Amino acid sequence: MAQLTIEKLTKRFGTSIGVEGLDLAVNEGELVALLGPSGCGKTTTLRMVAGFLPPTSGRVLFDREDVTHLPAYKRATGMVFQSYALFPHMSAADNVGFGLEMRGLNASERKIKVADALKLVRLSHLADRLPRQLSGGQQQRVALARALVINPRIFLLDEPLSNLDAKLRAEVRLEIRALQQRLGLTTLMVTHDREEALTMADRLVVMEGGRVRQIGTPQQLYDSPDDAFVADFVGRCNILSGRRANERQFRTSGGLLLPVDVGSGERDDADAFALRPERIAIVPGESGEVRGRVQAITYMGAQTEYVVAIGDETLVAVRPTPDAGEPLAALKANDSVSLQWDRKVPRLVPQTLS
Amino acid sequence: MALLVVPACLLVLALLIGPMILMFRISLNQFSPTQLMVQALSPDNYIKAATDPYYQQIILATLGIALLCTLLTLILAFPAAYWLGRMESRWKSLVVIATLFPLLVGNVVRSAGWMALFARDGLVNTVLMKLGVVSAPLEIMYTTKAVIIGIIAVVLPYMILTLSAVIESIPRDLEYAAANLGASGARVFWRVILPLSGPGVAAGSILVFVLCMNTYATAVLLGGPRFKMMAPAVYDQFVRGNNWPMGAALAFMLLAVTMAFTVFGSVAFARRYRTG
Repeated sequence: MAQLTIEKLTKRFGTSIGVEGLDLAVNEGELVALLGPSGCGKTTTLRMVAGFLPPTSGRVLFDREDVTHLPAYKRATGMVFQSYALFPHMSAADNVGFGLEMRGLNASERKIKVADALKLVRLSHLADRLPRQLSGGQQQRVALARALVINPRIFLLDEPLSNLDAKLRAEVRLEIRALQQRLGLTTLMVTHDREEALTMADRLVVMEGGRVRQIGTPQQLYDSPDDAFVADFVGRCNILSGRRANERQFRTSGGLLLPVDVGSGERDDADAFALRPERIAIVPGESGEVRGRVQAITYMGAQTEYVVAIGDETLVAVRPTPDAGEPLAALKANDSVSLQWDRKVPRLVPQTLS
Repeated sequence: MALLVVPACLLVLALLIGPMILMFRISLNQFSPTQLMVQALSPDNYIKAATDPYYQQIILATLGIALLCTLLTLILAFPAAYWLGRMESRWKSLVVIATLFPLLVGNVVRSAGWMALFARDGLVNTVLMKLGVVSAPLEIMYTTKAVIIGIIAVVLPYMILTLSAVIESIPRDLEYAAANLGASGARVFWRVILPLSGPGVAAGSILVFVLCMNTYATAVLLGGPRFKMMAPAVYDQFVRGNNWPMGAALAFMLLAVTMAFTVFGSVAFARRYRTG
């Protein structure tokens, strides 16, 4: 396994920007996820690393080797495609063996490695099936085996779970992650699904409009987003625009004062208040600093969502669904409540939401 | 709803099957130079077509030219079809129309133009001589070469469009996946693109082979009076020789050989690429 280094990588399509000046290092054995809305440049980046697309400028290195101008077939990356891209005219075993065949292994050597790879993804019994005779999940595992059997220098995942149903997705997510860690695969993954990114990646790269917004661990991005876009993209977030009023308060554009702490490392152009719904506690009655009126209560199973109107602003709080008898259980629309949070938790960030 | 199919069926029955039955009956008659057609029930015409070296040679030449033209057309058409099939430009429909453009010019008109181009004192020879590339005019007209070039020019659009439709349906990701696994461009072609283009190769080749087997105007105009293919030979028997029985028998021979090769080719192909 190699380290992947991307330097000032840029791709322009005519006058429009695909990716602009991307710098990123993926360490050996690390899984880094590129996360962003469609058109943010994440897939373009992956394709440039795989060698399917020539960059306009910048470099791609595997360890210290510059592969920027190396054709895709000489790069030895192992990619799992969103569509799986299994060869429809070849059996599962032949699909897995294709890369070995291209590397000049003879039939008997191939057979052993293919059997091992299929065993790794628990598909030995389906080796002779054609792709169309396999379920989506099975096809996905063939694609996984096919990419891994060649001992790739870099492992690439392009929205690997998006074609699976929800239940399978959670399962395969863990499976891929376990495999990636066990084999120590240097992995670059592309996804638009924040849950997928948060649960699988060692580090996340949030992209938008071809540029990197923030790079960090899932926790860093979730708890300390650099801007409102990142805050909103990695999870649900209350974002209110306004300005810091003093050391302990934020004034929203609607004139509401919200408790915050002295910002350390806060940017001067911070013009938004960001607070995750699950960080807000609700107390019935009108006792607290921030008082409002319940607008809507939505039961979501384990959790319940409360939409609370405070003056002209609206905040969403998500709490564990209360048991009968708890004070929150009796809450209904139009009741008065006060909202509370640890004043160290809200982030004041620049609002760059487009 | 089923009734709506009736008019088309009747038309086919009346204008295709009917005449074919009549023709088959005629092919069993016999020919006399004085009485022309004599009623009979004999396979003599077929035996003659199959054993007489003159007809044998025509059948073999036609078959050879058709097979060669099909192969050459396939080879020439594939790169163009690939390019067209992978094209994402908004000009694509314009390119498709441009591909079809040669078909707007009838075979006779086109061949006449080529006669002007290829003649001893035609454009090609004039230019080549002026440039000093050749010292004596090339013999292009009235050769097998001219006929093959002429036929390919006519059938190329059919092959390109049939192939490009199939190539377009092959997901681009399969090429990327093959490259990702270490396949160079040539190996991506042989291992992925070509096998998956199978249905298009089969359909295009059959279409083109049938067209080649039945070439008439191109063979007559570019091949000249001594060049013989099946379709002109059938015409000769009917019109010049007034020998309807022999003409009918030759027509059925042409049909039989074409069908035999088409069926054989499709079955062999289906066995080779049993995919779907």
